Amino acid sequence: MANPSMYSLKEPVIETSNLVKIYKEGAIKAVDGLNLKIGKGEIYALIGANGSGKTTTISMLTGSLFPTSGEIRVLGLQVPKKRRIVAAAIGVAPQEYALYSDLTVEQNVWFFAKLYSMDRSSFLKRLDELLPILRLDERRRTAVYNLSGGMKRRVSIACALVHQPRIVFFDEATVGIDPVLRAFFWDYFRSLAEAGLTIVLTSHVMDEAERANRIGLMRAGKLIEHGTPEEIKQRHSASSIEQVFLKLSEGAVADE
Amino acid sequence: MSKTRNFSPSRVIAVTWRILTQISRDRRTIALMIFIPAIIMLIFGFVLGGQAKNLPVIVDNQDAGYTVHVGQNSTSFDFGSKVLSSLQSDDRVKLSQGSFDSGKIGVDNGTYYASITFPANFSEVLILRNAGQSINAPVTIYIDGTNPTIEATVLAALQSSMQNTVGSGGVVLNEQFAFGGVQFSSLDISIPAVISLVLTQTVLLISLIVIVRETTSGVLSRLYATPLSAFERLLGYSIALLLLAMAMTGIVLFIGLGIFGAVVQGSFALLFLGAVLYASLNIFLAVFLSNFARNELQAVQMVPLITLTSMALSGMLIPVDSFPDWVQTVARFVPMYYANRVFEGIMLKGYGIDNLAPQFIIIGGIALLFFVMAVMTVKDRMPD
Repeated sequence: MANPSMYSLKEPVIETSNLVKIYKEGAIKAVDGLNLKIGKGEIYALIGANGSGKTTTISMLTGSLFPTSGEIRVLGLQVPKKRRIVAAAIGVAPQEYALYSDLTVEQNVWFFAKLYSMDRSSFLKRLDELLPILRLDERRRTAVYNLSGGMKRRVSIACALVHQPRIVFFDEATVGIDPVLRAFFWDYFRSLAEAGLTIVLTSHVMDEAERANRIGLMRAGKLIEHGTPEEIKQRHSASSIEQVFLKLSEGAVADE
Repeated sequence: MSKTRNFSPSRVIAVTWRILTQISRDRRTIALMIFIPAIIMLIFGFVLGGQAKNLPVIVDNQDAGYTVHVGQNSTSFDFGSKVLSSLQSDDRVKLSQGSFDSGKIGVDNGTYYASITFPANFSEVLILRNAGQSINAPVTIYIDGTNPTIEATVLAALQSSMQNTVGSGGVVLNEQFAFGGVQFSSLDISIPAVISLVLTQTVLLISLIVIVRETTSGVLSRLYATPLSAFERLLGYSIALLLLAMAMTGIVLFIGLGIFGAVVQGSFALLFLGAVLYASLNIFLAVFLSNFARNELQAVQMVPLITLTSMALSGMLIPVDSFPDWVQTVARFVPMYYANRVFEGIMLKGYGIDNLAPQFIIIGGIALLFFVMAVMTVKDRMPD
């Protein structure tokens, strides 16, 4: 495992400059002048309270939501302009499960595999890899509505990884997954990152964020702190990211 | 700890309050709740307020008249013209004059509802009968029997004109039915209308729910981040729904024809084709409308608006000829109007594609228009 405090940014795969999103309804400035640079093979955690702009940021990075102003480049391509090309190389596991509950686990993953133009045999091969890792191999033919919340979350992760994307976005992806399995997932994520996959995740679970290579702390649409977990802790003379988070979020109370 | 009662009015009120509050938050639903019943009532009021009138009918008056000589005096009778002018002033029918045979062709191709002829000896027979001879004057009517309201209205208009001019008795109505001489049962007559109703109602409902469910389940926002384009998505929906619509059409036709034995004078294949074409029109309409429904409740409310107004305006209840001119113009924009012509035409009148090409083209054209409108309004990203 690489020493997180020695982190140096490799070839950037995500870059934003002065990214702004103002929603028409309510005229809320959800993202306010965001500058991000995320490198290949990096695990980057966006943390912040609910409503701090994490999900809005992810939605803009994936091309699902158009920014009000500012620029985004993903894999060197402009987003949202080239979002269809970029889409083929990214995977997303959104905050909601976003699955077809009447379909089985396999059928859900197959649907997404088809959207990424996978053929049946490479899909089946991939599924045989993914399901045991996600502890879903016995649920392959179970309809999603019969699954627990944590299992649905894992199916959602499978849908995001099936086409072997170069970047994957996990929006609160590990919520509802038990601690043992979560630790196991992190090992898996790290092995994927070492193989070159970039993982961008959001979380409000601080000890989880500490496992990332770098952290970006958001508040009211702005990046108020960023760096490796060690750097951030040193800068604030704190023993944990949670302490830093609480210190920086003074006054801004998490609403959930 | 206080004891929990088995029944609590305050819990009931909590549920009632919750539902009313939820609906009051959904402004679109409230607008639809006011707008839809108002529109439906107004249209039905306009349409059902009137009775069938202005039904196009053609008359061939062959009556040569009859002159009675009494001594030096002679009196001429022309009963045919009398009946004709009485009929002319009856607003239930819109009279034209022409030969009986050309009138029959007109009835066959849907221009007229009836072709009527008075024989050359019409006046003569009536006079001689009056003088004591037991003979009757035959009036021949070639009539479209595919709509009982129209048939009854035309016959009533003719009979009251005769009653007013030559009295009752003495005239024998020789009724010939167009379209294979069949007198249809009320089931035969209603099945074509039922087919268009069922295809409108079920296809719209299922299509809307299927599409809107994708929005509410959250999968749609995930799809925005995949290579799937909005156009591909619409096309995918349409093909799936078309297959479902074909199955539904099959069920409707199987029950209508197989179980109730409704007649199909024309080609079954053409009927199925017409039904599928009309179903796809409704699918594309649903795809278009789904862009404006944020939840299933809003979507579902749109369906009766379309079904009921179409029903009123398509001539299913009262013939379109009876509407005021401007309502007739509006009716020309209602797809069900053309669907009814197609289903009635094929099933009751035995029409082929040569008669129905314009209707097929119009239905196909409207379907295409709805599809284009759907493509132009479909959302391909999260709302700004």
